[in-house]
Amino acid sequence: MPAQASPAATLRTVPGIAADQRRLFARWQRDGDQASREALVRRFMPLARSLARRYGHSSEPFEDLLQVASLGLLNALDRFDAEQGHSFQAFAVPTILGEMRRYFRDSGWAVHVPRGAQERALKVRGAQERIANERGHTPTVNQLAEYLELDIEQIIDALQAIQAYDTVSLDAPRPGADGDLTAYGESLGSDDERYELVELNATVTAVIGHVPPRERLILRLRFLEDLTQTEIARRVGISQMQVSRLLRRSLERLRTLTRAPGEAQ
Amino acid sequence: MVVRDPVARTEMAEIPNVRLNLSNRPENVLLVRQALTGLAESIGLDPLELNDISTAVSEACNNVVLHAYRGKEGPLEVEVCAHPVGLCVTVRDHGCGIGSRAEAADGDGGGIGLPVIRALAHNVEFRERAGDGTEVRIEFATTNAGVLERPQDEQGSQPVTIAQEELADTVAITVAPASLARTVVARVLSALAARAQFSTDRISDMQRLTDALVDHAEDAISASHLSIAISVAPRSLELRIGPLRPGRAEELVLDSIVDGLGPILERLSDGHHVSPAGDSEMLALRLAQRR
Repeated sequence: MPAQASPAATLRTVPGIAADQRRLFARWQRDGDQASREALVRRFMPLARSLARRYGHSSEPFEDLLQVASLGLLNALDRFDAEQGHSFQAFAVPTILGEMRRYFRDSGWAVHVPRGAQERALKVRGAQERIANERGHTPTVNQLAEYLELDIEQIIDALQAIQAYDTVSLDAPRPGADGDLTAYGESLGSDDERYELVELNATVTAVIGHVPPRERLILRLRFLEDLTQTEIARRVGISQMQVSRLLRRSLERLRTLTRAPGEAQ
Repeated sequence: MVVRDPVARTEMAEIPNVRLNLSNRPENVLLVRQALTGLAESIGLDPLELNDISTAVSEACNNVVLHAYRGKEGPLEVEVCAHPVGLCVTVRDHGCGIGSRAEAADGDGGGIGLPVIRALAHNVEFRERAGDGTEVRIEFATTNAGVLERPQDEQGSQPVTIAQEELADTVAITVAPASLARTVVARVLSALAARAQFSTDRISDMQRLTDALVDHAEDAISASHLSIAISVAPRSLELRIGPLRPGRAEELVLDSIVDGLGPILERLSDGHHVSPAGDSEMLALRLAQRR
């Protein structure tokens, strides 16, 4: 067995409180005194609340988690042996966490939470577009967090999720936003077309020719003209998030093509 | 038959897959979680297990944030080793020993960090290092996680450190194999870009930048690990990437050339320079939030 130091500091109880607690536990567990039980619940509810926040720190809804944590607290209050003189907290933490872990496992949390995260990602994406339209530039994470009343970490996770999701899954409910090539052709001015033709002749090689015209235009605007994604979005008539995703897609494509040019189809 | 002494085994320094060197500022705990999430993405960790790991490791880091340096700033080091059946996370500080920490004995609200770690981990060991802080080694059992190749070389075991005066604004991430950077560095970098008040479209550039870097870094590094130190200033980030073989830093930029578009690394950054670092080289990239 590996030696486990006992960090006594955390498990120490203050004597006055300990005596009082023992009394409350005795009245509840021996005499079934409801008032004592309620006093204990009031006293330890912050613990349940704190554990619910820590364990599911980015999942929602918090109220559900808190309910599960509270159930764990009630179990711990019933089963704690106050006579042994240990701290209730040290006993209750694994009991409450155990309850939450079981709940996560049984409720299909692993399936449920990504769905919640996806909804949040959609919300973040919407807010990002609204703010970009209102202010003419994309917001910072802090601005989004303020706007949506979410915490910074939730926004960062949502931005990662937006990047990770398949184009189809996030774009499906937005008809017309990510148009096909015909729609793109309409929004593309003749000036741009001419520009692109010149560029095709001058610099574009066989590899980049494998990227569809709109993506090629976006690549050019980003990397040769150094426009921001928001500026490109306005120019091409799609959202900044779509610019971001198309950049990703075409760079990935270029990467595979560059790696194995012979296999380019 | 040789029976290996379990203590000797743990004394033997295992080269971690992910290492973070940062300050014990409270806002840095988020970076540790982002790195863990990035690692989980790379190895396909179960989300429930990640939640347990992330919660427990956050507690260990919070302990360093609150108690290790008695209100002062100091280094926090986190190392993660991913094994086929488990994940081992070491959280280290160079502050006061854990026994002497005035951890909240104030009744019911505080002091639940260690019980939380114990409840969620498979095994926890505390090691107080004479006069040099505390190390908490937390083992988690995991299922179905992908296997990473074990980092091998000697240089990989040399810890990356950041100077005390850099601590306030710099975070160092070391990954082995280098391909882990794609998820681990990308997440930490995004979080730091958010801190530097970058706009979200510039943050999405960070992912493209990391991709371009990882694509070519494996051929350029002079060890089996890739280290990236990221310094944060308002609307500006500096990345120092190494250790690179002599001559390879400039090449790394050129390697990112896409026909007709130029070097992606150069296009996505706002200037770069190469500096020597011992027998190796470092590539420094500056990123700015324009407007």
